[in-house]
Amino acid sequence: MELSTLLQQLVNGLTVGGIYALIALGYTMVYGILKLINFAHGDLAVLGAFIGLTVLGGQLGGGAPPAAWLVALAFIAAVLVVSLAGVALEFTAYRPLRHAHRLSAVVSALGASMFFENGMMLIWSPQTRVFPSHILPDITWHLGGVVLTFTQVLIVFSSLLLMLALYLYVNHTRFGTAIRAAAIDQDAARLMGINVNRVIISVFILGPALGAIGGLFIGIYYREAIFNMGWLYGLNAFIAAIIGGIGNIPGAMLGGLLLGLFNSLAAGYISSSWQEAITFGLLILILLVRPTGILGERVAEKV
Amino acid sequence: MMIKRILAVIAVSILGVGAAFGAEIVKFGVQAPITGNYANEGQGIEKAVRLLAKQQNAKGGLLGHKIEVVVCDDEGKATQGALCARRLVNDGVFAVIGTYTSGAASAAQPIYARANVIQTSDGTAEMLTRRGYKTFFRNAPPNSAEAKFTAHYLVKIKHYSRIAVLSDHSSFSKGLGDATEAAVKRDGGHVIYRGYITAGSQNFMSVLTKIKSLKPDVIYFSGYYSDGGLLRAQQARLGIKAVFVGGDANQNTEFAKIAGSAARGTVIVNVPAPANLPYAEAKAFLADYKAAYGTAPPSIFTLTNADGMRAIMYAVEKTKSLNPDKVEDFLHHLRDFRGITGPLGFNKHGERLGSAFQAFEIQADGSYKTLYSE
Amino acid sequence: MRRLPTATLGPLLWFVGLAVPWLANGNWLSILSLFAIYAVVALSTDIVLGRAGLYDMGHAMYFGVGAYTTAILNTEYGVPVLWTLPLAVLVAAGVGALLAAPIVKLRGDYLLVVTIGFNEIFRLSMDNNVGGLTGGPDGIFGVGVPSLFGHDFSSQSDLYLLNWVVLGVALLLMRNLERSRVGRVFRYLKEDELAATTLGVNARAYKILAFALGAGLAGAAGMLFAVQLSTVSSGAFNFIESVTLFAIVIVGGQASIPGVLLGTVLMFVIPQVFQGLAQYRYFIFGIAMIVVMVLRPQGIWPRRRESAGE
Repeated sequence: MELSTLLQQLVNGLTVGGIYALIALGYTMVYGILKLINFAHGDLAVLGAFIGLTVLGGQLGGGAPPAAWLVALAFIAAVLVVSLAGVALEFTAYRPLRHAHRLSAVVSALGASMFFENGMMLIWSPQTRVFPSHILPDITWHLGGVVLTFTQVLIVFSSLLLMLALYLYVNHTRFGTAIRAAAIDQDAARLMGINVNRVIISVFILGPALGAIGGLFIGIYYREAIFNMGWLYGLNAFIAAIIGGIGNIPGAMLGGLLLGLFNSLAAGYISSSWQEAITFGLLILILLVRPTGILGERVAEKV
Repeated sequence: MMIKRILAVIAVSILGVGAAFGAEIVKFGVQAPITGNYANEGQGIEKAVRLLAKQQNAKGGLLGHKIEVVVCDDEGKATQGALCARRLVNDGVFAVIGTYTSGAASAAQPIYARANVIQTSDGTAEMLTRRGYKTFFRNAPPNSAEAKFTAHYLVKIKHYSRIAVLSDHSSFSKGLGDATEAAVKRDGGHVIYRGYITAGSQNFMSVLTKIKSLKPDVIYFSGYYSDGGLLRAQQARLGIKAVFVGGDANQNTEFAKIAGSAARGTVIVNVPAPANLPYAEAKAFLADYKAAYGTAPPSIFTLTNADGMRAIMYAVEKTKSLNPDKVEDFLHHLRDFRGITGPLGFNKHGERLGSAFQAFEIQADGSYKTLYSE
Repeated sequence: MRRLPTATLGPLLWFVGLAVPWLANGNWLSILSLFAIYAVVALSTDIVLGRAGLYDMGHAMYFGVGAYTTAILNTEYGVPVLWTLPLAVLVAAGVGALLAAPIVKLRGDYLLVVTIGFNEIFRLSMDNNVGGLTGGPDGIFGVGVPSLFGHDFSSQSDLYLLNWVVLGVALLLMRNLERSRVGRVFRYLKEDELAATTLGVNARAYKILAFALGAGLAGAAGMLFAVQLSTVSSGAFNFIESVTLFAIVIVGGQASIPGVLLGTVLMFVIPQVFQGLAQYRYFIFGIAMIVVMVLRPQGIWPRRRESAGE
């Protein structure tokens, strides 16, 4: 086994892990507050990719790289539209069920996922949609035998940065304190004068916004998007959040990166045909040893 | 209330079925995945059938009968496939075009066979044509023929000595990959790696890094263009020099778009592209499809299913009969019909005959150059 | 007195169902035939999810274990189809118990993701043709026709009656489970595990039992599935199918027999009726799911509050 191969696998794993982590952050935040598995979250991320595609698509004809302002606009539009969709989702599908059996909201989320996925199929066709090339600078470094691109570095760093910003926001601002308080006990938080509805709305803005960035990174890195890819990314992000300890922000980051590394090493060193089974096997093992994930604390469930 | 309403809906649909019968109509069924993971393929099949029916009707119909198209969405699942077959048979269809997945095709097969409804599907599982159903016609060439050509090209013509074979987990792709691996070994070639990707997962860097460390001469991929284009792009990103050879499902204009600058030099094995066939029907169909729907057909299987329908219509016109037995008999002896995916015929098992394979290379401008043909 | 209507209406509807082969056309016969099979799987899901309150999102796997058991025994070893029924039940129940044993201690959502994991490992194992028995992604073709006393159940009506009878048996079992000690323990565990444990209930054993019972019943449905379609492949038992089963129970009403049956109608039969919506079908269906949950959070036909007599 060559060292460069191993290092290359680590680079591969971290890049995908960064994307998983961005999507997992949204999962974990919603879960932290509402104890709800938002199964539509993966589809929201994909919506971000498609919004970005629509903005960038205007440039496709010429073949020249899109202007920097257009790329920025793509990200802004994706974040705006997707967080709006997130809030709308909260209002229509989740809020009426806040005091119902928690599985009712889960099924509502499954319905929402079906709605978004098929809606994207109707708008953007069932075909694989291709992103323009050279959206980001095409810089490639060859370090020893290891290949590293600018996009990869950007994905990993921006996911780390966003996670850190989110962590500081939640732990060191007044509103962050409100978020944490609402996550622990909504009724008590309300008694303390915290506007819990505002907290929940903010979570449905932040989570989908991060998901949209993750989705657009997927589109830019792989240069394609397809309407039904939300399930696969959503499931992986959900697993990442669980591995890290769902409800825990650094946990989502850690879980995402670890999952990316597992996937990469399993495909590279054990067996590509059993890759997903190995990933799931590892997840099950982790949960048997640490029943609430790596950084998770034991929290009472809302029933 | 709910029950009443549901019963009402059920009653209406029972009564509704079977009403529109007789007259000068011949019904063609489409059984295809209109929703779900294969929606792209299924909608393409539906569009092609509707287009062909419209064109035929404009020419005065089939033996004077107006063609009516009835679509049933099987979502690519066996259960829904069986239900669709039942529904279409009930609707009185003469023939069914589709379906796309082998599982749904095989669940539907016995139902069409019992009702003597002609079925033409691209399902690739070998078993589909081994069950003795005289109503079944596979419109795509069997994996074994393509595998044999591919192995011959890789081992005997190009003399590659280190061959990596990649598939996804689908029935089609795994079947083609396995057949190619076996054929390469039979020809004395050396398969250094046999691996899998998860279709649609986009991240193929790990598998490719593994392949890179094995220093292959060629990477052969038996899956679909949307994954193939990405594999090619990521192969280039990792600086793997090996030639990339893709199976028939990689032949799609989108491949080059997805692969970007890495597309050039990619080799694809397939029956001749419609654009390269020596007769007008093929080019005309492509142009008509584009004019009608604004895009190219989503994949080669849109075209093979269109060919299935064209062959059936041809058989009806030649036998001047809408008697399924006569049409089936004619189809079982059909040879060298001018298909839009190359010459087409069927043997007595309903297996497609007559397709000569070619190896094309994608050029810098996205066009294909034929490197080697059978 | 309030229970009288459903108690008599239920069996009555079942008997009416026996006449379907003489009333319905081929299309509806096959829809109702598959409805019977899916109703059995949904009821089996309800044992684990609705009654014992264990978040199981991998239940299609046990359905698949039953189907593959029948298909392999019949096509590879020539076991007559009907004889595979008890084996399909036993193998599925065994797998259910075996996999449940280490994981039932996990709480809610963690259990949910682990069951998804098992389901996906199962699907991949079938696709990878484990032991050369599962036929890879093509699956297994040519499952035989069941026969009893020299009569072949080959016609559509025969298969329908077979499915309908098994559904009847499943319904009887569910009613007995509801009234039995085991059923009551499941309810206590679901509502207040701590209290049940203090009363001396072995929570772990009962949870494993719930999985075994649910998996066994799903295995029986799997056998019917293999016979009905005469072909078995992994696509029918993937995790998306489990999600549908999960939704059937919640949409219909947990631990409610009429609720689960209605849920099956809504999630399985209704999409067949609306084939005409074509590519818009599941877009609208997704909205409908949200609307149903918002209007009826407890499910369409929730379980009644416990009456004093029970």
